[in-house]
Amino acid sequence: MPATLSPSEAPPVTSTGGGDFVTLPPVQGGDWHNPGGDRVVQRYKLGVWIGMCGILMFFAALTSAMIVRQGLSGDWVPVAVPPVLYVSTLVLLVSSFTVERARREAVAGNTEGLRRWMNCSAGVGLAFLAGQLLGWQELAERGLYLASNPANSFYYLLTAGHGVHLLGGIAVMGYVWVRIRASRPWPTRLAVVEATALYWHFLDVLWIYILGLLMFWR
Amino acid sequence: MTEVQPSKEVAEYTEVHRHPEPKSFLWKYIFSVDHKVIGIQYLLLAVVAVFVGMALSLLVRLRLVCPECSYPLLGQFFPVGAPEGVMTPEFYLAMLTMHGTVMVFMVLTTAPQGGFGNYFLPIQIGAADMAFPRLNMLSFWTTFVSFLLLMAAFVVEGGAPMSGWTGYPPLSALPEATLPGIGQDLWLASIAVFCIASLLGALNFIVTTLDLRAKGLTMMRMPLTCWTWFVTAILGLLAFGVLLAAGVLLLMDRNVGTSFFVPAGLVVSDKVIDHSGGSPILWQHLFWFFGHPEVYIAILPGMGVTSHVLSTFARKTVFGYRAMVYAIAAIGGLGFVVWGHHMFVSGMSPYSAFVFSVLTMCIGVPSAIKTFNWIGTMWGGKIRFTSPMLFSIGFVSLFVSGGLSGIFLGQPTIDLYFHDTYFVVAHFHLIMGVAAIFGMFAGLTFWFPKMFGKMMNEPLNKIHFWITFIGVYAIFGPMHYLGMLPHPRRYAEITSVDYLGATGAAELHMFITVAAVLTVLAQFIFLYNFVKSIFAGKECREENPWEATTLEWAIPSPPPHDNFAGKVPHVYRGAYDFALRGAKRDFAMQCNDDKAVYGEPAPQTSGD
Repeated sequence: MPATLSPSEAPPVTSTGGGDFVTLPPVQGGDWHNPGGDRVVQRYKLGVWIGMCGILMFFAALTSAMIVRQGLSGDWVPVAVPPVLYVSTLVLLVSSFTVERARREAVAGNTEGLRRWMNCSAGVGLAFLAGQLLGWQELAERGLYLASNPANSFYYLLTAGHGVHLLGGIAVMGYVWVRIRASRPWPTRLAVVEATALYWHFLDVLWIYILGLLMFWR
Repeated sequence: MTEVQPSKEVAEYTEVHRHPEPKSFLWKYIFSVDHKVIGIQYLLLAVVAVFVGMALSLLVRLRLVCPECSYPLLGQFFPVGAPEGVMTPEFYLAMLTMHGTVMVFMVLTTAPQGGFGNYFLPIQIGAADMAFPRLNMLSFWTTFVSFLLLMAAFVVEGGAPMSGWTGYPPLSALPEATLPGIGQDLWLASIAVFCIASLLGALNFIVTTLDLRAKGLTMMRMPLTCWTWFVTAILGLLAFGVLLAAGVLLLMDRNVGTSFFVPAGLVVSDKVIDHSGGSPILWQHLFWFFGHPEVYIAILPGMGVTSHVLSTFARKTVFGYRAMVYAIAAIGGLGFVVWGHHMFVSGMSPYSAFVFSVLTMCIGVPSAIKTFNWIGTMWGGKIRFTSPMLFSIGFVSLFVSGGLSGIFLGQPTIDLYFHDTYFVVAHFHLIMGVAAIFGMFAGLTFWFPKMFGKMMNEPLNKIHFWITFIGVYAIFGPMHYLGMLPHPRRYAEITSVDYLGATGAAELHMFITVAAVLTVLAQFIFLYNFVKSIFAGKECREENPWEATTLEWAIPSPPPHDNFAGKVPHVYRGAYDFALRGAKRDFAMQCNDDKAVYGEPAPQTSGD
């Protein structure tokens, strides 16, 4: 049901630094899928929640393929997780905090803070990906390539699959950066930031799962 | 009669349809974010694809009845596949594969959901657009790229892949096993890109349905079309990710040398293949985990349109609306737990087969509920035999005919005999292919006046219906008998198979091919009618020519850019209020309040 909001009640457009920013009033009443809160923000976040289900099915399929493949024949040689992954895991956890900080800055309407913390998160995200590359390099130095062994195949696939999704998140952060610099008004800014933060936390949890899988399901 | 509320509740900040109407051709018709334009783009893509798919099926039929015949024109296009115009067995398999792939992905998945769903879901729920219009555009263009990749497989060296639309390894995984070339890689890339497009589309459909419904439009007041699009989107969301993962694995098996699906010690052309330990069965599990929901992705929207149209033209409310909704949900849910019935002969444990079989039988229950309710909807109604009504009744007929053979195939013991025979071909063409196509024809003829503001030529539509209806039974009916012989599928020729020769299989093949040619020719009646009606059809500026109840019939034809022209519709009742007692007309639109329906003074019954 649309928000009860007539044009006369529409909030004023307040200029905050680089981009124009509209604070949307909470929906009166609301219903189960939109319990109060900002309508567009809720819609974007709902989109991310739904998207998560799709992504989870992708990784569930890889997981089941991995478990089945491991049980099939005797050619499975477990691969030890490169230690650099523990560092990059910490890095990713840190990025969840920076993203959360960026989100709060956005809620507070602080464009400068949003920009700073969003850029910071993108940087930390890239650092995580660099760590993943180091992990691949270490495996390659051990002589373990994509096709050397099914265990390695799944190691590369799972990390790459997660990395691609993370790159998507970083791309959105770049988009946020571009839109903040542009002078056009950006009514969906808060929604995009909230959705990005949610997505990023999801990738964080997803990575913990993948790491656990690689460590304990060898 | 329009009862759209004035625009008090519109808030320009919160509405998705923020974009002004574009003026230039490029932004209005090509990179449009308008769900209506995108819907038509999907439909046109499907129309192109369906004619490609039909042409391929004709080649398949021609090869079957006359393996040695020469078609010089074909030889010019495919010098390798059809040297001097004579189709090779490999070429036959390639055409078969591409026919299945084009039809399943580019027609059955795009048109009902991406086409009609895109166009009518937002309007039927009273929204100005989908939840994420730009994502919507991205979905379409990603689908288009996928289509181009698939078509590219025809022209590369080695030609199109020949591992069937199911792409079973090891044939699909080993370049050594087929003609050298990247046809199969293009096929896999196309499917992967298609998965991404479908996932984005599914996300959009689900959020739109949950979040953008007009005031008063509870889930249980939604038209059944919206329910089927919604459930279809959920199926797509959960299924396409799995196919994407499987496709990536297979692509790596082909190109990087991994061994997910290729077993050890395989010998191809007297050489041992350098793979170890994979399992082709793993692919089958992953593929069919997607593949079975996919058949419901194809058929569910057709069920929705059928329910919608039957109710409108029988002038009766849908019999058992709630049961219909639960049946849609049950079919969707059960669709995820029956994939094993495609693999009864893969050597699975009889206990697993038993479980899959029982679950498969369970799908008969919601399916029977739907069929019963369709008949119940028509029973005693004042039926108007318009062409959409004919196609919907045709849908019910084909759904029953195709569904009954499904009960046979769902039993492991019977499937052992029927597996990979023409019986299966007959079954899935009737229920998934032709029934879904009839659903599309019903939708197209029903919504054509709304989409284009013109009427289609009704007599031509009826001629097209009858030829097609009789034609598809003539094609697929005899295939049941072929399957019982048992005549195996996918064989390029049967000339040296003695037991088939004695049973009249060749004559039946000839009969089927003639029927197929006639049926394909009849589709040009439709194409002519479709194109001519768009440009020179009878004007239909009436908002509600069919006297239907849902919101799309309360706005001009074709709808304005933002659907409700800056107003927000208010819904007062369920979607199928027909045959009302004491009402001014025999139906009430969803946006009519009691005063509009019954006049003053309002009686006690609301008919909701």
